[in-house]
Parts: sequence; C-alpha cells; structure tokens
Amino acid sequence: MDQFSRRNFLGAGLILGASTLFAKEAVKQTVTSTKEFVTPIIAFPEKKPMKTISDRPPLLESSRDVYTKAITPNDEFFVRWHMPDIPTYIDLNEFRLEVKGSVNSILSLSLDDLKSKFEPVEVTSVLQCGGNSRKYFSGSGPATHGVQWGHGAMGCAVWKGARLKDILNMAGVNATAKYVGVNGLEKPAMEETPIFFRELPIDEALNDELIVAYSMNGEDIPYLNGFPLKLIIPGHFSDSWVKMLSEITVLDEYKKSFFMDVAYTVPDNDCECVISGSDFEYKRKPITQMKVKSVIGYPAPNSVIKKGSRVKISGIAFDQGKGIKEVMISLDAGKSWNPATLEKDHGKFAYRPWSFSWEPKQKGEYIIMVRAINRIGNIQPLPGDIGWNAGGYQYNAVDSVNVKIV
Amino acid sequence: MKINLLIAGLLLTATTLFSQVSKPIEMPYYDYPIEVGDHHEVTQQYCLICHSFGYVLNQGKKSRPYWTGTVAKMVNEFKAPIPKEDQQIIINYLVKHYGYESTTGH
Repeated sequence: MDQFSRRNFLGAGLILGASTLFAKEAVKQTVTSTKEFVTPIIAFPEKKPMKTISDRPPLLESSRDVYTKAITPNDEFFVRWHMPDIPTYIDLNEFRLEVKGSVNSILSLSLDDLKSKFEPVEVTSVLQCGGNSRKYFSGSGPATHGVQWGHGAMGCAVWKGARLKDILNMAGVNATAKYVGVNGLEKPAMEETPIFFRELPIDEALNDELIVAYSMNGEDIPYLNGFPLKLIIPGHFSDSWVKMLSEITVLDEYKKSFFMDVAYTVPDNDCECVISGSDFEYKRKPITQMKVKSVIGYPAPNSVIKKGSRVKISGIAFDQGKGIKEVMISLDAGKSWNPATLEKDHGKFAYRPWSFSWEPKQKGEYIIMVRAINRIGNIQPLPGDIGWNAGGYQYNAVDSVNVKIV
Repeated sequence: MKINLLIAGLLLTATTLFSQVSKPIEMPYYDYPIEVGDHHEVTQQYCLICHSFGYVLNQGKKSRPYWTGTVAKMVNEFKAPIPKEDQQIIINYLVKHYGYESTTGH
C-alpha cells in the first residue's frame, strides 16, 4: 500500500457516497450495533498496538498498565491530532522552524541549527490532553462534548531541546510584543476550517521552562508525537504543546481563534465549572495549569486475584509542578485511607510513581481507590464532587478499580 | 456541484502532499463500521471529509440535543459544508442509530 491509496480510497468513498446519494443504491456495509463496538487495537508507525479511537486524524489511547511506569515508552505514548492532513514524511534538509512577526530579525532554523546554536536543556514532564479522562464525567453528571478518552491521553517523557526563550531572544522580540502564536504542519481538509493555532502570553513564552524539543526519551520524537519538533510547556495541559512545530509568530495584539477562544476553554470562575445554567453563558478562559491527579496502573479493572496473594498496587501521581506530597489508597471504596509509598522523584513536572502492598485475606469484591495531595494542599475531588464543564476538560477526580478476590 | 468540488479538493491536497513527502510512514486505515439505513450515506459523505467514523462510535449513545450541538459545532466552527436539510438528515440518523430521543440535557 503506498501513501496515497488511503487518500484515494477516501476520494473513492466520497464518489461512491455521492453516487449512492443520487442513485439510491445500497452500499455494502458492516452492520454492528454500537453496544458491541469495541475500539480496535492497531499498530501505527513507531507504536505498539494501541486503542485506535480514530485512524484519521489518529487518536491513539494508552492502556492503563502504562501507568505502572514513571516514564512512558515512546511506542506506548498516546497520540492526538486535530487535523486530518498530517505530513507522513519530513525532509530535514527542507524543514525549517520560522520565527517571525514582531521581532528584530526573522529566523528560519533547521533542526541542526536548533541542536547546535542553542544550549540543550532537558525536562521530564507529563504531557496530558485537556480532555484526558473525559468519559468519567458521565459517571457523575451529564455527558461532556469531545473525544471520550479514558485515562489514556497522558504520558510522561524526558524532553530535550532548546529553550523557547533563547530562540525568541535570538530573533529579538519587540518591546510591543504581547503574545506568541504557535502552529505546526497539520492541516485541515478544507481551507475554511480554522487551523490548529495556539497563543501564549509573552511572559509565559519567555519563561525558562518552555522548550522546543527535538528529542523524546533519548530518541527522535516519533512522527505521531510531532517529529521533528514539539513545544514543551511543563505543568500545562498539552493543548499548546504543538506537534511538528513549524511557525512561531510574535504578536503585538491577541489574535482571536477557534482553538483559543472556543475549544479548550472553561468557565472563568474559581471552580472553572458550571454552577447553574449553560456553560456557554459563562465568560471563557483557556485551560492552562494541570490539576493534581493520580491513576492506578495495576491491577487492571475487573482483575481476579487469589486470596493471600501479595499484590503490589501501583500507579503514578502528578500535578502542575508543585510536587506530590502524599498519595493515599483505599481498599474499601473510600471509607478508610492509608498512605502509599512514594517512589523515585523524577522532577517536579514528572510522574511520581507510588506503590502499596496488599495481601487480601478475605474473598469478595473490592474497590481500590487512589487520592493524591500536592505540596500546596490541592487534593483530588471525589467523583461526585468534581466541578462540571461542558467540554469535559481537566477531569481529576479520584480513580478507582474494582477487583475480585477468590 | 459541491461534492465534485470536494473531491477535487481532496485530490489536490493529495497532489500537494506528494511534493512534500518522498519516504512517508505508512498510516494504517481502519474500516469503522457504519450502521446502514436512514441515509447513512449522507452522514458518511460529510463527516468523513474531516474525520473517521471512529469519532462517532467513540461518543456512545447520545441524546438529540447532544448530536444537534455536535453537528452545529462542525458546521459553525469547523465550517463543514453541510446544507441545512442534510444537517437534519445527519442529526436524525445519529439519534436513531447512535443515540436516543430526549429534549433535555444530554
């Protein structure tokens, strides 16, 4: 299969669709009830087989067992693109990162320039989609709009690259600059569709911690995670972590755009949630810093475990970069809590792995829950207490897994 | 005719892509199942311009207001070129096959 057959197939599909529309012919289709639909597990380039929510644009979800690891392997790292047209090959002789707009001198940087002209820096940081865990909102409230992710739209990697600040300083940002716009090579199917464009306030863009990464866990960034360049904003949801980063535009004025002003926004109030009425009646603000969260990596839901086994319950916790203070485990659906052991600290923006030894002595059904608190006292809400927003963003309620002891 | 324009647009994009890539990664294709009937072909024809049917299946059963909102988002925000009458056909199809009738909430 060459690179165009899929596209041609799509074109053919549309032509077929069109002819059926007018000729009312029947098209052969697989008939499946939605109740029976199981997300396919498919291996994409540079990836192990992953839950494929969509192949175009690719939406690949990590499985829960990846949360037993402090660093997510590249080939199990989740994938989320917004636009269907993604280059499937990048010629590094031609690829350039353009830095333009309200700057002294426009830059056109090759990958080699980024590696040789700037001090390389490394950060271990969680990358989490703003809509990660969205499907769990429906457990305690109305369904929320968007891809119904489980917990698998996050990962943690060691990112290496050049500081965004150093790149901006080389270009020389004008004193009048207020925002920095970023976008990559993904393109919509139609010209009218808004492009995936994000903006950062200038002081945030000049923060030491933001990097333009060219390496992920010691390797080139996988194609589907944004080869060759990806913007890293430690502590923030991944909405502005632009993949295949190709343009940095310094702006004197904020530019309104769908992906800044409509998508990835929440009500602009303290709880960032809907208190009454419709979400869209609220003034909006973009989601930015992540909220304290923990997820169980092992055991998996519905595990059957033999009485008397030594079970090492394990998982990860993280926050916006303040650091995890404590992780607590409940084995009785939240009635009582015990501290888990915090394992190796990989840095304030990284996953903090934790574990809890359990030797179940009685048969029956158990609900294991995990709850994290960070160093500034932010604690995960219980599922019934989490604030609701229509976009289903920032879900961070207590995670639970049911197991059966036999 | 709009549909022909769309096809032409896709072929054009494919050609442009050709000049950009010479050693591409191969992206797998998956044939997400689509329930037949009630003008599924209209839904297919417009929705698949930008995304796979996996997007629909992933939503689970959703209410009429939910699907109405989703179609409105595709038209108003993402500029899907769906005429009014086809929008209604798509909403009815989604509610019947991937949802339920309800006038309140989700």
